[in-house]
Amino acid sequence: MKVIAILIIVLTGGLLIYGVEEMPDWGDPNSPASSHVSPKYIKEALEKTATPNIVTAVLGDYRGYDTMGETAVIFTAGIGCILMLRKKRKGEGEGD
Amino acid sequence: MLEYIVSKYNFWVYVILLLIGLYAMVGKKNLVKKLIGMNIFQSAVILFYVSIGVKKGGATVPIFLGNAHAAHGHGNAIIDVASYINPLPHVLMLTAIVVSIATTGVALAVLILIFRRYKTLELDEIIKIRKDTGV
Repeated sequence: MKVIAILIIVLTGGLLIYGVEEMPDWGDPNSPASSHVSPKYIKEALEKTATPNIVTAVLGDYRGYDTMGETAVIFTAGIGCILMLRKKRKGEGEGD
Repeated sequence: MLEYIVSKYNFWVYVILLLIGLYAMVGKKNLVKKLIGMNIFQSAVILFYVSIGVKKGGATVPIFLGNAHAAHGHGNAIIDVASYINPLPHVLMLTAIVVSIATTGVALAVLILIFRRYKTLELDEIIKIRKDTGV
């Protein structure tokens, strides 16, 4: 059991460290993640949404439906916890 | 070689953190330890994404200060992209943190139910009880 786990760890670690070679340097301003879509958001967010905080502008305006789905996830998780942990009434029996 | 490691040391740290979480998920038998391993795994991924957004050379948090409303009024303000860090990884990880909290909560509730039925959280003991009773 332990041997299999350590084998999986070594295999995954080798793959990940092999992939690190292709990543951009730490804090590189011209990295791919910072040079395609992100300049457009930084330039246009204030003008289009009138929100000084770009993170808030993207979360609430550009990705508003995603945030709504996120609240649905939280609501479902809360309902699930309540249904699992509530005290059973007398008539309902022990079956889950 | 040392320069190569130092220039990307953040990724090495996240790889180590992710492997700790993965080992806890695969190698440990206690279900709570597996859950904590999953949380460490998620933290590693979140840190990895946030570190992608970092820009060196005087970049600050993506919040416009001071004359933000004046710039909005004129609409032709020149915004230097290099002076603000990448906001998109932060937004995505905000969502991921919320989802991870929800996942952890539901998993802990399930663990409480498992403990109520089997009186243990060790995976091998639970499997043994299930085999013995035939449930």
